[in-house]
Amino acid sequence: MTATTTAGRRPLGPRIYGFLRSIPTWVLWILVVLWTIPTFGLLVNSLRTRDAQRTSGWWLAWQDGANGFDFPTLQNYEAVLGAEATGGLANGLLNSASIAIVATIIPIAIAAFAAYAFAWIDFRGREWLFIGTIALLAVPTQVSLIPLLQAYSSGVRMTIPIIEKTVTIIPDMGLAGTIPAVWLTHTGFALPFAIFLLHNYIAGLPKDLFESARIDGADHFKIFWKLVVPLSIPVLAAFAIFQFLWTWNDYLIALTMIGGNRVALPATVVVASLAGEFGLREHLLTAGAFVITVVPLVVFFALQRFFVRGITAGSVKG
Amino acid sequence: MKKRWHWLIAMLAVMSLVAAACATDEGVSTTTAAETTETTAAETTETTAAETTETTAAEMDLSGTTVTVFGSESSDEEAGAMQDALDVFAEANGMTIVFTGARDFSDQINAQAAGGNPPDIAIIPQPGKVADFAREGFILPLPDDVLATLEENWDSAWVAFGNVDGVQYGVNNKSDIKSLVWYSPSAFADNGYTIPESWDALKALSAQMVADGNIPWCIGIESGGATGWPFTDWIEDLTLRFEGADYYDQWVAHDIPFSDPAMVAIWEEVLAEWNAPGNVFAIDGSIAATAFGANGQPLADGTCMMHRQASFFSAFLPEGTPTGPDGISVFYFPAGPNGEKPVLGGGTLATAFRDAPEVWAVMQYYASAEYANERQKAQQIRKDGELSGFLSANQNQDLSNYLPLEQEMISIMLDAEVLRFDGSDLMPAAVGAGTFWTEGTSAVNGDKSVADAVAAIDASWP
Repeated sequence: MTATTTAGRRPLGPRIYGFLRSIPTWVLWILVVLWTIPTFGLLVNSLRTRDAQRTSGWWLAWQDGANGFDFPTLQNYEAVLGAEATGGLANGLLNSASIAIVATIIPIAIAAFAAYAFAWIDFRGREWLFIGTIALLAVPTQVSLIPLLQAYSSGVRMTIPIIEKTVTIIPDMGLAGTIPAVWLTHTGFALPFAIFLLHNYIAGLPKDLFESARIDGADHFKIFWKLVVPLSIPVLAAFAIFQFLWTWNDYLIALTMIGGNRVALPATVVVASLAGEFGLREHLLTAGAFVITVVPLVVFFALQRFFVRGITAGSVKG
Repeated sequence: MKKRWHWLIAMLAVMSLVAAACATDEGVSTTTAAETTETTAAETTETTAAETTETTAAEMDLSGTTVTVFGSESSDEEAGAMQDALDVFAEANGMTIVFTGARDFSDQINAQAAGGNPPDIAIIPQPGKVADFAREGFILPLPDDVLATLEENWDSAWVAFGNVDGVQYGVNNKSDIKSLVWYSPSAFADNGYTIPESWDALKALSAQMVADGNIPWCIGIESGGATGWPFTDWIEDLTLRFEGADYYDQWVAHDIPFSDPAMVAIWEEVLAEWNAPGNVFAIDGSIAATAFGANGQPLADGTCMMHRQASFFSAFLPEGTPTGPDGISVFYFPAGPNGEKPVLGGGTLATAFRDAPEVWAVMQYYASAEYANERQKAQQIRKDGELSGFLSANQNQDLSNYLPLEQEMISIMLDAEVLRFDGSDLMPAAVGAGTFWTEGTSAVNGDKSVADAVAAIDASWP
């Protein structure tokens, strides 16, 4: 051990270690920048006129003034916010909210009960039922959309072969073209994953808690509400973010289930329609994308506080 | 802590209820609006019924009914103008008509029809799809009175697009003409160019332009997932000119394959014109990478002299571009060797999914001259008096609603000796909206020889 290092110069070993340690941070920064570039380009283009967008790429936006185009201009945003053809964007945003909020709450509510039951209630066939539920994860959304739509629009009937009798399994509820049809579809496709995720978390809660609660005379209902729900807030919140973003950004399910009912279309469909036939008004998509993104961002930042607190709240407080 | 959560959940629940309430509110308000107009409409029909005996709508009581219409036109101008035109009819009859436009209409209408949730009326841009729906029994044949109105207002060549196996299903709604070359009359005059009357004259003109140091063509065929369709339009236009309508019909039905020598020759002819040195302006020299909508700017600023594109191209000209004799205008894509003047057209067809008096009343309105007039007026207002992008080949419409350039396009449509629908819209989707585009793009790029490209298309024909 020779102490030859001068002040401010660390030995080679720690310096190499420090350098290596910083590599992941740099890689992350590079990824962040790379991932942000397209979004940034979208933002720049959303402030350019249609003809400017058609003439050059967003990185040449600084030349727009010289080329006789307005930059920056809010006319795209005005056109998007003032759109009325597909029911209007304000109406679309409200529909998106009523789809995303309810389609987040319903699966969480059902999945939390189910996950608790799968984890802590001993009933016959529990394992097989759980495996069956998880196996549903493999069902692709796309193949079941049209059968589902048929079920919503005209119910499901089955003819029993020998006695030639038709039984109505699901009555015709006239759900096609309505927002509840979207709720149900989102709920159905979210449940397997939600149950799987919540089950893993809830099953990992310490067994002692449940035993002591039972000794104190708590029933399942009380245990669920007083113990499981407060302790599961981090995972509930995590799933809620995923599900909210997924349902907010969903295009396919909403468009298929709602179809031609303009009054109920969500904002994603409204904005996509702004582009028009042959991409006539494609330049509006840039501004539309930002208007739609605002809401999930607000939700995310507004709830972030709760998530962090939920995680740090700790399970066993003294 | 716990309280906050309760607040949050309560807030979310209230928000969603408000949202749901707003959604239903709108529905309620439209019905009440219909109800309130009902009384006035009833009064007006009483007084005017005697005068307007012609429209069956006035004879029937349509008040309180609702008709949903679904179509591919979705931008604010087009879909808005469609709704405006429908509202005129709806208000006169105390009914409600709701038009919804979807960008993914073609996929969407399949899902809606198969899922049992179709609209009352769908406005379909492809006669091929109308035929599919008719054969599958989804859409209904027109009743006699609607058919009579259609035949009274539309030339039989246009009416035929909505005819499937001898039964009329479609009502013409919008018409496009594709055999157009966009150019600047003043640039032509400055250079002493005249409008060519034949394909050979057109080729000579483009050679002359190159010799003069001008770039003849603006060509870009990029269009996202539909990249290549402008190329197919060129092929179709030249096929009509070189080989005639009978050959065209057989080719569209695949009785004549793409690998037919005459067809290969047409591909070579188009590619020779596109690939000739100095003939084409495209961004970075790549025709396949230049967006078809990006052809408007170079044409308007004089970078290139001509652009062959359909009537709806007017919407892609830069804002404020003057049109007509002093700006950008069109001439007819010239005739072929035999001098015949065929026209390649396009358009949309209204088809009915529900059998009800109010649905047929709306279908009849679509067939009428009133619809064309109202639609054009509304769309022109929404375009601030510029080219509206809407054209109708309705014979009894009021042409004074159109600008002179649009009137010229309509006269080309109406005077057509031979009219054929865009072939790729008539072919099965696997080809017409698939390999014809992709293999055509490969041939344009030089990735494939014409022989390989046409062989690949033939192999993909279902």
